[in-house]
Amino acid sequence: MIRRLVPALAVVALLAGCSDDPDPSRPVGDAAPGVLRVLAGSELADLQPVLDEAARATGVSVKFSFTGTIEGAEKVASGSAEQGFDAVWFSSNRYLELVPEAQKRLGTPARVMSSPVVLGLPAAKVKELGWDGRRVGWAEIAEAAGARKFTYGMTDPSVSNSGFSALVGVAAALSGSGAALDTARINAVAPQLKQFFSAQALSAGSSGWLSEAYAKRSRGEGVAVDGLINYESVLLSLNATLPEPLTLIYPNDGVVTADYPLTLLTSATSEAREAHRKLSDHLRSPDVQRRIMDITHRRPAVPQVQPDAKFAVKDLVELPFPGSQSAVDGLITTYFDQLRRPSRTLYVLDTSGSMQGDRIEGLRQALVGLTGADQSLAGKFNRFHGREQVTLLPFNNSALPPLKYEVPADDPRPVLDQIRTTATSLDAGGGTAIYSSLRGGYDVLRAQIDADPDRFTSVVLMTDGENTGSEDFDDFQRFHAGLPQHLKDIPIFPVLFGESATAEMDQVAKMSGGKVFDARSRSLSDAFKEIRGYQ
Amino acid sequence: MTKDPFSDKWSSKRWTVKRTLGIGLAVALLVGVAAAIYFGQGGGEEPARLQTVRGVIGSEKLAFFADQRVQDVFAKHGLKVEVDPAGSRQIATATDLTSYDFAFPSSAPAAEKIQRDRKAARTYAPFSSPMVIATFDPIVDLLTKAGVVNSGPGYQTFDVQAYLDLAAKGTRWDQLPGNSSYAARKNLLVTTTDPRDSNSAAMYLAITSFVANGGVVSSQEAEAKVLPAVSKLFLDQGYTQSSTEGPFEDYLSAGMGKTPLVLAYEAQFVDRVVRGDSTIRPDMKLLYPAPTVLSKHTLVPLREPGDRVGQLLTSDAELGRLAATFGFRTADPRHFTDVVKEKNLTVPQTIVDVVEPPAHETLERMLEAIAKQY
Repeated sequence: MIRRLVPALAVVALLAGCSDDPDPSRPVGDAAPGVLRVLAGSELADLQPVLDEAARATGVSVKFSFTGTIEGAEKVASGSAEQGFDAVWFSSNRYLELVPEAQKRLGTPARVMSSPVVLGLPAAKVKELGWDGRRVGWAEIAEAAGARKFTYGMTDPSVSNSGFSALVGVAAALSGSGAALDTARINAVAPQLKQFFSAQALSAGSSGWLSEAYAKRSRGEGVAVDGLINYESVLLSLNATLPEPLTLIYPNDGVVTADYPLTLLTSATSEAREAHRKLSDHLRSPDVQRRIMDITHRRPAVPQVQPDAKFAVKDLVELPFPGSQSAVDGLITTYFDQLRRPSRTLYVLDTSGSMQGDRIEGLRQALVGLTGADQSLAGKFNRFHGREQVTLLPFNNSALPPLKYEVPADDPRPVLDQIRTTATSLDAGGGTAIYSSLRGGYDVLRAQIDADPDRFTSVVLMTDGENTGSEDFDDFQRFHAGLPQHLKDIPIFPVLFGESATAEMDQVAKMSGGKVFDARSRSLSDAFKEIRGYQ
Repeated sequence: MTKDPFSDKWSSKRWTVKRTLGIGLAVALLVGVAAAIYFGQGGGEEPARLQTVRGVIGSEKLAFFADQRVQDVFAKHGLKVEVDPAGSRQIATATDLTSYDFAFPSSAPAAEKIQRDRKAARTYAPFSSPMVIATFDPIVDLLTKAGVVNSGPGYQTFDVQAYLDLAAKGTRWDQLPGNSSYAARKNLLVTTTDPRDSNSAAMYLAITSFVANGGVVSSQEAEAKVLPAVSKLFLDQGYTQSSTEGPFEDYLSAGMGKTPLVLAYEAQFVDRVVRGDSTIRPDMKLLYPAPTVLSKHTLVPLREPGDRVGQLLTSDAELGRLAATFGFRTADPRHFTDVVKEKNLTVPQTIVDVVEPPAHETLERMLEAIAKQY
């Protein structure tokens, strides 16, 4: 048995070695004594030093597998989380508890820390808005945003909790009724919400990437964004790295706060239960609570430990959170189909000969998945949204004619069906002219932007191999450098697949302020879905 | 769902490797454990064999069962009691009870249902606690001006009728006249747990439905009459937590901003004062709803070892004294009175305005009707 194991291990090591972005949602293995297998939100990664210390103190080590809140809720509800995990740990259990099938699988929660979602703006901007030295409410913030007196970045509410909390918070506050949101109240407040979201200049699938992108832009790489909506903890950490720190605005009518409950699954074994108890007791002990506060900038969860001075406003009003899954799902759907600035997405797609067989089928399925065929909870939200402009630009020896669609807000089905038909008829053959095709994409975008400038515009570049066209990477780099600013700032999201030229793809992402997504160790569908958070 | 054949291949390969590795590790660990047992036996005394008893309990009793002194008393009687906390209605309706020796919800109606479903021969009610509202000085002042808080017989009361009148109008905190201390733009509502799975929320419904009806609800007409008003008290809160420890911990750590008024068991508050861990600050105050109900913590034995736990809790004086230090009013009132005297607590010896909850079926029907509106 041992001898067979060695080559197999070597294969895994090689696989891990060739990927610079290991799959964060990898399974964490079978139950083992002293190990708590936890399905978690990715923002828990910053707790690692505390967890290392906890492992030494308690003998319980945590193995994380990361996923989004909604995807996680789905895994818990379907029972698949019970197959590989003992506990879940997200920024909040609120969404999980609204899904009855998930709620009944949740056991003992232990809240470990908390952080409200707030707005951060540079001090000069706060002054210009007349907000220094006084508290403002969401209505005033929404009004200033609607008048474009400032811009901000926020995460995608369907995949990231900070964006989700902001959406719930601003909607609850603007509704003014003081009671929790239901569908009727959401519709009534839609016009003001639209104003507020008109100032959103940056979207992201994770809080971490959002603050990195913000920091880069404030250093002059790309168009600067004034502020960020994010966890207080993320903004405080970010401030340590910014030339001009952000002032945190705590709306006086309330916030939505993440409280990070480390929650046992009811299916957990008694060993896992014991491990959970030991770890929770340790993490909630006063000294560890202070340590968590120091290194993560999150507030303590136990009343024995007082929050320290860096939290400028201590007593925060908590806004009511919707009491049903249908109200929350309705709010997210409304956000995408009506409230936020609409997206414009260009897919530059490799349909060369090397894509024949399973690969082209994978690409077809990845696109079909975004037309509403994916019936999962998460799939419902990451389909092409109402008002979105979608352009497919397949290429082989050269770019093929662009296929343009605009998804109507009211009745998206017929257009989504057209996209699906087109996707399923994509065929593979010919060469791989990556850079001339990508350059051609800018002609499409230029015309679209001239006609309708106020959209989130981005490019997905999917290719499975080396460029065989006459224009090479250097040619594209020169072309890109010569673009006018508004085109240069369009993020490109390259998808690594098959034998992609990793280094070049990294460069393409970097020069455009985009991000590389790896589909070599998972499906193209998974990568395409993840990109949705950034579009 | 779409699947990419490549990724499936890789991930299944990884699984295989991990599984194989897992077996290897397990073998190594087994050897280690065996060695430890072998070497560990070198002349030590045989430890007393304790029988493990598993129970599922309302979360507010977790600290009691986790206490070393309580465990020591059980150990003296040969028992090791392991408990899982859960919402009391959840225990009665959703939790799979097959792996437990006893269920210990926080109310008589929930216990009644479990007893019937599981055909348990008897139940034990070793302690109880009245429902209270925990709040802060500035809120007490505001609500006194608004006519909701009154001075009662030696303690402050929360006038449920006056509160229902404000709630019916959807009054926001910032609409209270002369309010400069808590001008939140959210409705004046007591924070409760989820009526779909928690006992304290059901107790709150018992109180509010009594007042809305002008007496215990005992007919379908009365249910229909009170439902609109009492449903609003839950639905307007939106999301609520499923276990009472959650909102009370919010009250203690997040403070007035998040939880100006929280429904709690008196025992939760008293327990914190007795502990003296400085979590109860001088500005934190208890109000007794007028009227209120008692939450009767009732143990339902599901197997023989569970029955022994019930017997001990009811008859053992040491366990009675310990329960009182956790804030419970004990079946033998002396234990609680002793703690009140010893710790100089400002809680009333007796509460005058106490009403009975509706019959189990009535309470359940009303809770179901509220659940449907979410």
